[in-house]
Amino acid sequence: MADWIVGVDVGGTFTDFSARDLRTGTVHIHKRPSTPDDPSRAILEGLKELQQKTRISGEDIARFAHGTTVATNALLQRKGATVRLITTRGFRDLVEIGRQVRPLIYDLQEDAPAPLVSRSNRLEVSERIGSRGEIITELTEAEIARLIADLQAGPKVESIAICLLFSFLNPVHEQRIAAAIRAEIPDVFVSISSEVQPEFREYERFSTTLINAFLQPEVGRYMERLKGAIALVAPNAKFGIFQSSGGLMSIDKALEFPVRTALSGPAAGAVGAAAAGGKSAVGDIVTLDIGGTSTDVCLIRSGQMEIAHVRDIAGFRIRLPMVDIHTVGAGGGSIAHIGPDGLMKVGPESAGAVPGPACYCKGGVKPTVSDANVVLGRLPASLAGGGMIIDRDKAVEAVRTIADPLGISVVKAALGICGVVSSNMTRAIRAVSTQKGHDPRDFALMPFGGAGGLHAADVARSLGIRRILVPTAPGILCAEGLIEADLQENFVFTCRTPLNGSLSAIEAAVKQLDEQAQQWIATEARGAEGAYRLLTLDMRYVGQNYELPVTLGQPGETPDLPGTDALKDAFFEAHQRSYGHVDRDAPIEIMNVRMKAVARLSQVAPVSELPVGPAKASEHHDVWFDEKTPVSTPIYPRSTLEAGIRIQGPAIITQFDTTTVVPPWASLTVDPALSLILEIDDAQ
Amino acid sequence: MLNKIGLDPIALEISWNGLKSVTDECFLTIMRSAFSTNIKERHDHSTAIADAQGRLIVQAEYALPIHLASMAGLMTCIIEQYGDTIAPGDIFIGNDPHVAGGTHLPDINLAMPVFAQGRLVGFVANIVHHADVGGAAVGSMSGGLDEIYKEGLRIPIVRLYSKGVLQDDLMRLLLLNMRLPEERKGDLNAQIAAARLGERRLQEFMARNGAAHLEAVFDDIVRRTNLRMRNAIAQLPDGDYAFSDVMDDDGAGTEDIRINLVIHKSGERIIFDFDGTDKQVPGNFNLTLNATQSAVCFSLKALLDPEVPNNQGIFDAVEIRAPLGSFVNCVAPASVALRANTCQRVVDIVIGALARALPDRAIGAANGANTSAVFAGIDPRTGKQYIYLETLGGGMGARATKDGKDGVQVNITNTSNLPVEAIEIEYPLRVEEYALVEDSGGAGKFRGGLGIRRTIRPVDHDCEFNGVGERFRNRPWGIFGGAAGKTGRFLMLGGEGGEQSLPPKATGVRLTSRMAAVIETPGAGGYGLPQERSEVLLREDIESGKFSPEFIAANYKK
Repeated sequence: MADWIVGVDVGGTFTDFSARDLRTGTVHIHKRPSTPDDPSRAILEGLKELQQKTRISGEDIARFAHGTTVATNALLQRKGATVRLITTRGFRDLVEIGRQVRPLIYDLQEDAPAPLVSRSNRLEVSERIGSRGEIITELTEAEIARLIADLQAGPKVESIAICLLFSFLNPVHEQRIAAAIRAEIPDVFVSISSEVQPEFREYERFSTTLINAFLQPEVGRYMERLKGAIALVAPNAKFGIFQSSGGLMSIDKALEFPVRTALSGPAAGAVGAAAAGGKSAVGDIVTLDIGGTSTDVCLIRSGQMEIAHVRDIAGFRIRLPMVDIHTVGAGGGSIAHIGPDGLMKVGPESAGAVPGPACYCKGGVKPTVSDANVVLGRLPASLAGGGMIIDRDKAVEAVRTIADPLGISVVKAALGICGVVSSNMTRAIRAVSTQKGHDPRDFALMPFGGAGGLHAADVARSLGIRRILVPTAPGILCAEGLIEADLQENFVFTCRTPLNGSLSAIEAAVKQLDEQAQQWIATEARGAEGAYRLLTLDMRYVGQNYELPVTLGQPGETPDLPGTDALKDAFFEAHQRSYGHVDRDAPIEIMNVRMKAVARLSQVAPVSELPVGPAKASEHHDVWFDEKTPVSTPIYPRSTLEAGIRIQGPAIITQFDTTTVVPPWASLTVDPALSLILEIDDAQ
Repeated sequence: MLNKIGLDPIALEISWNGLKSVTDECFLTIMRSAFSTNIKERHDHSTAIADAQGRLIVQAEYALPIHLASMAGLMTCIIEQYGDTIAPGDIFIGNDPHVAGGTHLPDINLAMPVFAQGRLVGFVANIVHHADVGGAAVGSMSGGLDEIYKEGLRIPIVRLYSKGVLQDDLMRLLLLNMRLPEERKGDLNAQIAAARLGERRLQEFMARNGAAHLEAVFDDIVRRTNLRMRNAIAQLPDGDYAFSDVMDDDGAGTEDIRINLVIHKSGERIIFDFDGTDKQVPGNFNLTLNATQSAVCFSLKALLDPEVPNNQGIFDAVEIRAPLGSFVNCVAPASVALRANTCQRVVDIVIGALARALPDRAIGAANGANTSAVFAGIDPRTGKQYIYLETLGGGMGARATKDGKDGVQVNITNTSNLPVEAIEIEYPLRVEEYALVEDSGGAGKFRGGLGIRRTIRPVDHDCEFNGVGERFRNRPWGIFGGAAGKTGRFLMLGGEGGEQSLPPKATGVRLTSRMAAVIETPGAGGYGLPQERSEVLLREDIESGKFSPEFIAANYKK
C-alpha cells in the first residue's frame, strides 16, 4: 500500500530526507552529503539508505516531493543553453541595457553580468502591439517566413525565447511565432514571455523568459534523468517539484517553466516553518535559517508567507511570485575580520565546508562564528550525535588572531563576533519586517538550520521579540516543508482599470482566471484532498508605479470580486500598513489580477518520537554570556525534554545536528507539540 | 556632547548597522509611498541622518551622491538660521541653492530634528527630486533659463511643520506654484512620513542605548571615516596633477565653457584647485560649491575606496578651492537646474587628472552628460496635462582590464530608466526604438562603452519636447592612447525636410503625431592604444554588430 511521502531537499552541502507515513504520521529523517556534479546520485543513494534504515519499500512511496538547486546553480555558474531571442524590431538591446543602472554606484570596475544571450543571437521582427493590446503593426506571414529562414540559417541552438512588447495584453504575435518555430524547427525548446510571466514591464518579463530558455535544456535533462531513476525505485510515487512561490508543481510544469525553481531553495524552509508553527498554534513567525555561509529570513503572517515579485539572482532579474526571503552573507562559517575603518566585520567571506571553521580541524585557521561559539562554550566540544569533532584550542587560537590586534580578550572578541553577526541578522529581519510595515515584536522568532538555535536569543532580544519557537527537527525543516507543501499554480492578468467606474473588465478577468484555475485543479490536481482559489488584486494610486497586492477573501471561499467600496477599503488597509498613510480621496487603479490555485495533497500531522524523560542535564559546561565570568550551564539532550517542562536559563539543548542556547535572561518550556518555547525575560 | 564614551570596534559596528537600517527604512518608505514616477521607478531620492552640528553621519545604501551635498548644505543653513529655536516636531523644508544649501530647485529637502530630554541630538533628512517646481518651463529643468527665478519656486529654509503642526498656509503656497499639485502633495507626504519614521526610529534607538551613546556613535563614525579616507589619500603619490575639459554650451549663448583643475597632493592632504575655470554662465549649468564638492568626493571615493561610507568624514578630508563667481562656485542669481551635467564632467576631469597616479583604476571619459528628455502635452485620452521626464545613460569609459560598459548611467547618477510599457501605458507616447548606438565607443586596447538611442513619437496629439545634452560637440576623450568616443545628438524625424538636427539644448520643440524625436547619448573614451586590442575582442566587436567593419578598419589600423 502506497502511503509514504518522501521529501528530498538538495542543498549545497547536504541532501536531506524526511519520510512520513500517511497512516500513522511516523517520521523518519536522513541526511547525506550532496553530489553537486550530479545531484540525483545523492538522492538515489540516500533514498536507498533511508529504505534500508526504515524498511520502507519503494512501492509504498506515494509521493516524492523534491526541492532542487539545479536551476539556481546553473544560473550562478552561467552553465545553461545557448539561446536565441526573438523580439520586437528596435528593441534587441533592451535585455542588455536592462534598467541602465550599475550594480554599485561607486565601483568603476563592477558591471552587471552580460545578458544570457549574445547580441548576434537576438533577432528582431517587424510587429508591434500597443498599450491597449491593439495591433499597430501586423506581423505578416512573410516576416515569419523570413524569421524562420534566419533561424535555420544561423547557428543551431537548443532554446529560443520569444519576447515581444505588450504580449501580456495580446499574445497573438508571440503565439504565431512559437507555432511556426515548433512546426519548422521541432527539436528546440521555446519559451514565450506571455506564458512564462504575462505581466507588464518588459525588461523584467523578457529577462525572466530568457532565464527560462537558458535553463530549460539543462533542467529538463536533470528532471528526465531523475524521473526515470525514481520510477524504477518508487514506481507508484507522484512527483512534485518545489517552486519559488512555496508550492509544488508537476514535473511537466517544471520542464516547461524551470525558472520557477530558481529561487526555491530557501522557500521550502519557510513552508516547513509555517507548518511547524501551526502545530504549536503560532501563525505569526519570523524565520531565522542560519546555514554555513548565509542566513535566510522570511516573514509569515497567520501561517501565510509573504510573497515578493521581483528578485535578482547572480545579477539576473526574475519576476515571478516567490516567497519573500531575504538573505545575508552571515552564517556559522562567516569569517571575522577587521575592516578598513578599524571595526570588526563578520562575513560575507566564509570558511565554507573546506577548510571550514578552525574548531572542526579541517585546516581552517581564520576566526569564524562557529569558533566564537566554541570559545564561549555555547557549542559544546562533546556535541552529541553531530558526528563532528570539535577542538576548542583551535577555536581559541583562531579567535586570538582578531582579539590581539584589537587589544581585547579572546572572550570579548568571541562575544563581539556573535554580537556583530547577530546585528547583521537583525538588519535582515528588519528588511522583511519594519521595512515592509510590520513590527517584529508581534512575531515569534523561529530559528532553524544548523546554527539558528545558537543565535536566536540574541537576535530576538535586539529586535524586542519576546518569544522563540524551536521546531522539533530544525536541521531538516526544508525537507519537512516539502512534505507539507501543497500543489500550487499562479495565474496573472494585467488589466489597468480605474477603481471608480465599471469593473466589468476586472470581473471578466477574474472569471477567466478562475476558469483557468479550476481547469488546472481538474487536470493537475486530481486526487488532491481539497483545493481552493485565492484572488489578489495589485492596486495602486493613480500615478504610483508600485502596486500593492491586496488579497481578497480567505482560502476555501469562492473567489468573488467585491464592490468598489470594499475594494477601496481593502486597498486603504494595505496602504496604511505598508506606508503608514492613506489618501481617501485620491483615485485608485487596479493593475493586475492574480489567481492562486492551491490543491491540498493528502496530509497527516507528524508524530515525533516521544521524549524519554525526565529531563536531566547530561553534563555542565562553562559558558560565557558576558565577558566577566563563565556560568556553569547544564546541557540537556533534547530527547529528554517532555511536554510541560520548564527550565530557567542558562541552559543548552543539544540534538542530532542543532544546538539551542538558552541564556540566563531567558526561560524554556516545551509545548504539547514538543516545540521548544523560549521566552525572553521581562527585564530585557 | 557630555558623557562622551569611547566606543569599542564591536559596539560601534553594531550600532552603525542599526542606523543603516533606519536610513534604509526611510528610503524605502519614500520609494513606496511617493506618487511620481521619478521616485517610484527611478529612485531619485535619498535619506540620511545628521548630528546636532549638522554633520552628515549615515545615508541610505542607495542615496545619491549629489543629494548628500544638498542635505549637508541644508543642515548647515538650518543651524545657522534657526539655532536655539529648533523645537521637537518641527520639520524644515528648503530647496534654494543660494540660501538653503541646495544644488537645484527640483530637489526639495526635508529635515526633522531629533531631541532627547529637550536637547537636540541630531536630524533625519531626506530629499526628493520633484518632477516640477514651477518656473518658466514644464519640469523646471529646461535649458536656456538664465536666472534662478525662471527655474521655479525658491524655497528658503522654512518650517513646514512647527512643533508638530502643519503650516497649511505654506503648503498651499508651495502647491499653487507647482504644476501637478496633487502629485507634489503625494511626494511631499511621502517625505513627511519618512522624516517622522526616522525620528521615531532614532527615539527607539536612544531608548535602548541612550542619547550619549548615539552621540558617541556619530562622532566615531565621522572620525573613523575621515581617518580611512586620509589613509587612502596618503597612498597617492605626492605631486600636482592638472587636467582641463570643455563643456559644449550653456544653452544661453556661451560656448566651450572651460573647467580647469590642478590637484595638489602632499601626504594626507589633497587640494582641488579650480583656478582658471571660466566665470559662471547665464545658462543653468552652474555649480554651487557643494555640488562641486559632491562631484569631487564621488570621484575620490570611486578611485580610492569605493566602500568607504559616505559622510562628513569624507568631506573633511578634501579641500576645494574654487573662485567665487566661477562656473564651479556660482553666486545668486545664477541658474543651476542642469548642474548634474557639470557634475558629471567634474568627475571625468578628476579621473583624468589622477590617471597618471592611478593607471589601474582610472577610466576613459564617460558619456559625461546627464542627457535628459522631457515630453509634455495634453493627453488626448484624458484631457489632462502630462509630463514625462527621463534621463538616459550612455557609454562608460574603458578600463585598465576591460571595455567600458555599454548603455549605462555613469559617474554620480545611477537612476533607472522607465520601462517602455510603463511609458506607453502612462503617457500618449510611443517608443519606436531603444537601442545601443553602434560605432559610438572610442577605440582602444579596451574600447569605450556605447551610447543609447531612444526614439519617441507622440500618439494622436501634438507635444512639446525639451532635451538637454552634453558632449554633443566635445567628444569623450580616451586615456593612455585610447581614442575618443562618439558625440551625442538630438534629431527630429518626419518634419519638413525629413531628418532634422536639434541643438544640444533643445527647448520648446513641437512634435506632431507624424513626427518623432530621436535621443542619442554619447559613447565613451577608450583605454590604451587601439593597435593593442586583441583579435578576439575585435572579432566580437564585429560579430555583435556593435561596430561596423568600416569603423574597425578605420580605427584599428595595424
